Amino acid sequence: SGTIKWRMQTYAGPSLAAHVIDPAIEMFNKIAGDRMQIELFYADQLVPTGELFRAMQKGTIDAVQSDDDSMASPTDVTVFGGYFPFASRYSLDVPVLFNQYGLNEIWDEEYSAVGVKHISAGAWDPCHFATKDPIRSLADLKGKRVFTFPTAGRFLSQFGVVPVTLPWEDIEVAVQTGELDGIAWSGITEDYTVGWADVTNYFLTNNISGAWAGSFFANMDRWNELPEDLQTLFRVCCDQSHYYRQWWYWGGEASLRVDGTKMQLTSIPDAEWAQVEEAALKFWDEIAAESPTKAKVVEIFKKYNADMAKAGRPYRYG
Amino acid sequence: MSQEYIALFMFGAMMVMLLTGQRVFGAIGAVGAIAALALWGTGGQDIPFSAAMKLMKWYPLLTLPMFIFMGYVLSESRLADDLYRMFHVWMGPVNGGLAIGTIALMVLVSAMNGLSVAGMAIGATIALPELLRRGYDKTMVTGVIQAGSSLGILVPPSVVLVLYAMIARQPVGQLWLAGVVPGLMMAALFICYIWLRCRLQPELGPAMKDAGDVPRAEKMRLLWAGALPLMIFAAMMVPFVNGWTSLVESSAIGALAALVASVLKRRMTWAIFETCTKQTLAISCMFMWIILAALGFGAVFDGLGAVKAIDNLFTDQLGLDPWVILILMQLSFILMGTFLDDTAMLVIVAPLYVPLVKVLGFDLIWYGVLYTITTQIAYMTPPFGYNLFLMRAMAPPEVSLNDIYRSIIPFVGIMVVALALIMAFPQIALWLPQTIYGQ
Amino acid sequence: MIAFMLGYARVVDAVNRRIGRVMMWGLFAMMGILLWSSISKTFFLPSLWTLEMAQFAMVTYYILGGPYSIQLGSNVRMDLFYHNWSLRKKAWFDACTVLFLIFYLGVLFYGGLGSLAYSLGYWGDEPVTFFTGLVTGAEDVGRTERSSTAWRPVIWPIKTIMVVGFFLMLLQAISELFKDIARLNGAEVPA
Ligand code: NA
Ligand code: NA
Repeated sequence: SGTIKWRMQTYAGPSLAAHVIDPAIEMFNKIAGDRMQIELFYADQLVPTGELFRAMQKGTIDAVQSDDDSMASPTDVTVFGGYFPFASRYSLDVPVLFNQYGLNEIWDEEYSAVGVKHISAGAWDPCHFATKDPIRSLADLKGKRVFTFPTAGRFLSQFGVVPVTLPWEDIEVAVQTGELDGIAWSGITEDYTVGWADVTNYFLTNNISGAWAGSFFANMDRWNELPEDLQTLFRVCCDQSHYYRQWWYWGGEASLRVDGTKMQLTSIPDAEWAQVEEAALKFWDEIAAESPTKAKVVEIFKKYNADMAKAGRPYRYG
Repeated sequence: MSQEYIALFMFGAMMVMLLTGQRVFGAIGAVGAIAALALWGTGGQDIPFSAAMKLMKWYPLLTLPMFIFMGYVLSESRLADDLYRMFHVWMGPVNGGLAIGTIALMVLVSAMNGLSVAGMAIGATIALPELLRRGYDKTMVTGVIQAGSSLGILVPPSVVLVLYAMIARQPVGQLWLAGVVPGLMMAALFICYIWLRCRLQPELGPAMKDAGDVPRAEKMRLLWAGALPLMIFAAMMVPFVNGWTSLVESSAIGALAALVASVLKRRMTWAIFETCTKQTLAISCMFMWIILAALGFGAVFDGLGAVKAIDNLFTDQLGLDPWVILILMQLSFILMGTFLDDTAMLVIVAPLYVPLVKVLGFDLIWYGVLYTITTQIAYMTPPFGYNLFLMRAMAPPEVSLNDIYRSIIPFVGIMVVALALIMAFPQIALWLPQTIYGQ
Repeated sequence: MIAFMLGYARVVDAVNRRIGRVMMWGLFAMMGILLWSSISKTFFLPSLWTLEMAQFAMVTYYILGGPYSIQLGSNVRMDLFYHNWSLRKKAWFDACTVLFLIFYLGVLFYGGLGSLAYSLGYWGDEPVTFFTGLVTGAEDVGRTERSSTAWRPVIWPIKTIMVVGFFLMLLQAISELFKDIARLNGAEVPA
């Protein structure tokens, strides 16, 4: 029959995927019809997230939706995936950085070198703490065992946070079995959507990043085998997915802060939180010192954030 | 090949391989590997290994060796002897009292170990000879021990529920609590039955005449023995339920507590210690290799679309009522329980059924309890049952296989009643976890 | 030929038995790590490394202990029919079906080899070439894979243990095959 079949694995579990990826894939399959069908698998379903990159590079999995950090891509840009502390404030920052400030080109070069096609980057939600016990000061972070992204965890450990990495699907259970004290992985929309709001009690309104950055990737050979119109269709559906998340998270974060009943909001005063922001700038320089590519990306972040500050309201307040 | 044929081929090939008597993990793993190489396309050969990485990340598996070790310390060091003596002197004077005491013993033993085999071993070595010597009816006695040992995986800690929790992605703590009331309810039903039956037919379980001779001080000392398992249970469960320690940490504390108890009671020798350690490796490896093979099999089965085919069959094509589907699934477990061991059945079949149960709108914690009881029924029912053969192997020669077959009938009846009650009133299982975890 | 097979089985069984006898004490290594985890969490700061270290210990325990567990006969079989067969019939069936087990272990071993090569920075499809290249100096260790946790341990040591374990398991399965063939040829082989 000649229907092209792809297996794609996302790093999200089914409940989250229902919003952040299912609609895009359904749309793709509907339009591509007999020419191509993508079968979607969820977090750890076919291969564990730790093996995801290798599986895609080798062709065991054809395409992947993930951030660079979680799937431990062997590239110099990996640390910037997921939540690079304080690199962006709003979810629109991410596409601007990629499309207008040159990150797309850097990513393309890095991934081509390891046999993987970087198709499209997009933004998700901000990174907040959801915990069993309240966090009202930096001291409250001390000793908390928290599920978070590898790089965010590295950064947060200087405040006494103990980062723990477990399979995504096991997080809710791990909070209940005492393996975790909390989660620093998402905004409040996701906490409610995936059930973490049911097992934690408090939501910290300060965030360490305004938007997650992650991408769609494919095995290089599989991508090159696609006719150009299907490549275009795939890109269009990625954009649809990015767009859906833009409004779904933006609206969701606000309405759950206002109307949500499962979690109590707490805040760390701005003056105290400024210590974390300062530490982030130091962290940026540490990362930049690791390689020329990393230095280039950090330079772009600095330039972008300086431009936004200069642009003033509504881009940056104060 | 269509998805339906792939499902049929993989499942059929696995059954044939199992029937040859090859080691379960080899049979399952080979079928998964062959299908991966033949049908997956690029990179399929990596799936069996990536299952090993997946297994490594399943942290609750760390509890397996701990609970297995606990069970061995308990049965090998004969820690349960005093417990049995306690029930002996306290319950002996009643008609059927020793049998009732054996069920109570099984409840306590269940609270200290995660598998039903340990209960079976303790029941068969300690209780069985004594009951027969005291003139209890042999078909009554073997039934009591088999039924009692089935509580092992229902009362926490439970290895089967840990595995189920990982597959269904449900909290272990809640599942364990969900097993408590049904486990105690089943024990109570067993006890009612024994009491009633022996009241009507005292010759089945004659009261002991000499039990009154034991001095009161000795009776009180023996009562103290009953506190031991409760203390081990508490050392493990109190920090866990309070959130001071995590599940896997608690399992290590439980294993250590059992070891310390056996040393303090002067029941631990180097030879016993070595046997426990060696047997723990043997049984843990058995479990882990089956899980490894089944995870690989499952990923291939899923990636080739066979899971979707099964979903289709149950939900779309047959178009059955959710309850009918549920009962069909339970029946298929009883059928498969005649030849698959519980780990293999859980790791292969549960991943197919659990998503379906969820789609049908049933509670997965509740289903975990149903599943556990159903497999226990499966292992007790003739003609083939895991527990039946274990019983046969452990029982003295005067107990025939026929006796064992007949002995389980009333007890299986009670378990079916318990199952029906829990299906009709899910709160029997769900009340405790909801009360404790509900905020 | 039978003498060679029995000699092979003797050597492999002895090696795997020794390894298994050491591995069985790994139970207390796991217990120790988990107990330290609860102690450090209660009295000091929780440790970064305990859970992952316990997972590494668990993998070492069951994979390197695997061959010994085969020797102990603890790997369950579905004994619907098997149970009632004569020793000779069992040996016949085992000798045939163990080839499937060997195939499975071979796939595990090969997959492990590829994954180990990846963890040492080799991204091609021929791990065997890579490892021979490492020995001859034609290949170099590249970007080493690290666990995506905050502790970030390198992954190659645990993958090496896994690959070695699968290899030993393969040797043990072949030993079982040889022993069955010897049995069918009338040799006395202890079970
Ligand atoms: Na138990
Ligand atoms: Na049966």
